[in-house]
Amino acid sequence: MKTKLLQLGQVFVSLLILFSCIGNDPERPLGEYDRGILIMNEGSFGSNDGEVYHLNPSTNELKPDIFEAANGRPFAGLLEDMVNEDDKMYLIANTGKVEIVNPGDFKSLGAVTSGLDQPRSLTVNSGKLFISDYGPYDANFNTPSSYIAVVRNTLGGTVSKKIAVSRKPEDLISFGKFILVAGSEEGKVEVIEAEKEELVKSIEVEGNPSQFFEIDGKIYLFSSKADKVVIYSFHLDNFTLATSNWYPIANATGKIALSNSNTLYILTSSGWPNYEDGIGVLPLFGTSLQPKWYEGSGFYGIGIDSSKEEIYVANANGFQGNGTITVLDKSGNTVRTFDVGRGPSGFMMK
Amino acid sequence: MILLVWAFTFFGSDIQKIDTVGLQEIEVISPAYERFGQGQKSIKWSQKDLEAYQSRSLADLLADQSPVFIRSYGPGMLASPSFRGSSAGHTAVFWNGIPLNSPSLGQSDFSLLPVFAIDQASLQFGSSGALLGNEAIGGSVNLKSQAGFQDKSSLLLSQEFSSFGNYQTNVKGRISGKKLALQSKIYHQFAANKYPFRNLALPGTPIQEQDHAQVIQKGIVTDLNWRISDNKSLKTSIWLHQAEREIQPPMGSSTQDFQEDQALRWSMNYEVFKKKSTLAFQSGLVREELIFNGIENNTSQFILGGAWDYFPTEQLSFHSGARITLVKGDLSTYAATDERLEIFQSAKYSPTNRLSLSLNLRQLGYGDQLVPLIPGAGLDWTFLEQKNQSLELKISAGRGFKVPTLNDRFWSPGGNPELLPENSWNVESGLHWKKNSFSQSLTFYSMNVDNWIIWLPQGSFWSPQNIRKVRSDGVEYQGSMKFKTGAVDWISQWQYSLNRAVSLVGISQNDPSLGKQIPYTPRHQAGLSLQAQVQRFSIQAQTNYTGERKITADNPRTLSPFFLADLGISYTGFSISKIQIPLQVRIQNLLNTQYQVIYLRPMPGRSIHFTISFQL
Repeated sequence: MKTKLLQLGQVFVSLLILFSCIGNDPERPLGEYDRGILIMNEGSFGSNDGEVYHLNPSTNELKPDIFEAANGRPFAGLLEDMVNEDDKMYLIANTGKVEIVNPGDFKSLGAVTSGLDQPRSLTVNSGKLFISDYGPYDANFNTPSSYIAVVRNTLGGTVSKKIAVSRKPEDLISFGKFILVAGSEEGKVEVIEAEKEELVKSIEVEGNPSQFFEIDGKIYLFSSKADKVVIYSFHLDNFTLATSNWYPIANATGKIALSNSNTLYILTSSGWPNYEDGIGVLPLFGTSLQPKWYEGSGFYGIGIDSSKEEIYVANANGFQGNGTITVLDKSGNTVRTFDVGRGPSGFMMK
Repeated sequence: MILLVWAFTFFGSDIQKIDTVGLQEIEVISPAYERFGQGQKSIKWSQKDLEAYQSRSLADLLADQSPVFIRSYGPGMLASPSFRGSSAGHTAVFWNGIPLNSPSLGQSDFSLLPVFAIDQASLQFGSSGALLGNEAIGGSVNLKSQAGFQDKSSLLLSQEFSSFGNYQTNVKGRISGKKLALQSKIYHQFAANKYPFRNLALPGTPIQEQDHAQVIQKGIVTDLNWRISDNKSLKTSIWLHQAEREIQPPMGSSTQDFQEDQALRWSMNYEVFKKKSTLAFQSGLVREELIFNGIENNTSQFILGGAWDYFPTEQLSFHSGARITLVKGDLSTYAATDERLEIFQSAKYSPTNRLSLSLNLRQLGYGDQLVPLIPGAGLDWTFLEQKNQSLELKISAGRGFKVPTLNDRFWSPGGNPELLPENSWNVESGLHWKKNSFSQSLTFYSMNVDNWIIWLPQGSFWSPQNIRKVRSDGVEYQGSMKFKTGAVDWISQWQYSLNRAVSLVGISQNDPSLGKQIPYTPRHQAGLSLQAQVQRFSIQAQTNYTGERKITADNPRTLSPFFLADLGISYTGFSISKIQIPLQVRIQNLLNTQYQVIYLRPMPGRSIHFTISFQL
């Protein structure tokens, strides 16, 4: 059970019901940050100035650096991912740590501060943290020793085991006592049995798998190649591929957002030499595919506020300073823009 | 016999019209940037001024005693200068006239330039492309090492023991005859840098000991000064330097990066003096090897040039020359060469002793590109001169430029061969007042830097572009005073600088950083030093204030201002036979200020340094 920043609050609720391994505490009063939009600012390489901003969409009040404000110390890392599971908010820094905070007020609950190299994402299963990690670079800047780090306490602590997986694992998702890992570089989905802390299966897929998402109890995987994207689904009884659907959307970056009408908004970038960025729209159960629904440059993150049917596009502004958020309506018209922290890369709608 | 006397005799009264400097007797003709740099602010340190910094780096000297802001990533780590809000690459650095900036990176690491290795240092502020050439946009640093003609030979052994497991050994020997002077310096620094700091990245912000910041630096500098005949001299120097550094990670990271730097620097100057002119030939070589985590990058620069100085009358002087630079880069992702040819011309007119005007021009071509003609002009006018005081007006305007670095043009992937040179315009005006041993100066400046190169993410890699335009305005105030109270001789120096450096053009029209102070550029800096000497005992206090800095131009997070104080006590009265034994105790960061110059890079707290020297 998890909510990643690129998924919807509704998905979180359904996952909570269907895949929950550890019950939430229903008594915890709602905090300021249990509602609204959390904006993840990755920070700049070498500066470790990642942070989280909070937006109240009703009043448009924007609060900067809510981790530092709550804890009296900076986040001090490059914020790679935010995961809301087990009634805790996990802030994953690819500079080598995981901060665990109360989702309501962002007060620190714990941390994993050693034993990690380049953590990417996390899931909670069987009372443990499973953290995907690229592992260290070798002399050629490859990462041949990627792993899933196991921490046997949901409030953090030490890494007790590292499960070797294919190169550059990204997203993880729990299903019962199992965990699926998106192996982005070698095109694999690897299955880990949480209690035994062992890799039990590896599934070959095409492209660079990057994100899992869930619809109506089914797990889907988003993977991309240069000229198209593919959506996989799985048989969850024996962990085999169920369906694979290809769509002609080129240059997908791996960053997506899912609306409550089951439409995927996919960030694209042409790269060299023109660097034309865009957003492709893919109705998962429809036919009105729009590979270039919106075009621009500098896009670095995307999210959807389903309650207002508004699309949030993050522009990192070249990491030279603060990033900019552009809010679009469902027709692609700009509703408003505002500045956030450095390198905005994702959103969590709550 | 000293060369100065020889030169004076040779030239007769004409030599008085050639600007001379009295700091080192070997100097006959001062560098062109001093003779033709009218109207520009400058600061100079003599060999004696540098004595207190013999175990420290150029970065420490500039941070303490100049308005230059040093962006330091930790003790012994990367330390880059920022003149008047410009970037590290906008500072030209020369050693004996040879450019030291890496042709691939376009800048120098001032923590790798030990003060012990040099004998003189000076700063020229503002754009001086016409006088100094490439990269002199925000300012320039001129270092000099040379063997002076002295009465006797000397030998110095100096050993410093410091807090945090640091120590430094310096050895300097000098022999001098009438025609030949030889000086050699050997230095070795070991800095464990195991200093405590509060780790803000961890829950509870515990105090931890820095464990990945060890620095070892060693080197040898040898200078030869040969008076070939009555009107010919040859100076040559060679400098070998090696550094091994654990790269201190920012708080929140546990990277274990390791960097090795090796440099071979050689300079040669051959000068021929005639009645109303001098002819100088210069050659030099700089080879550098940088190994970062086992990845090797090599660069080399070979320089060959000549200059002719002509003094037709007492009022007029000219300086003309040309220089060829051959650059070669063999880096981890590319190999490239670059050839640069530049010609330059300066003229100075001094109708009276109180008025001097100069005009400087330079033309540079690199590859198949031609940099537009670079002009510069200045004026020094002492409009008030009385028995014990004078008031001087300085005005100058000049252009600067920076040829894109090899990395900017050829790095793979992302290098952009179409880049244009960065360029700047600088105007400044200053008033200098001297009254007996009290002096003050006030300088106003304004500088525009255009085509500022920044690296931007382009898909999966970054690429440089000529994008930014920056305007920098400010005021610099300096003062000094010498006085005596009873048996105590006092020297005091103080300074304050105000800088406003903002982006006028950014990466887009909506760039939120437009109009805001550029990152890591304090608006306010101040310093005060006081030295008291009684016979062979002296005490020195140095304080500095650095105002707040933004991490990015528009980010709400700022780095707090910090105030640092150093205290030094020295005694030079000990001796055994002919061996003098000076002693010094220095306390750096006396108030144990916890501070960061760069975000999340903790700097050391209070440290004690004890130095004993043996001088023969």
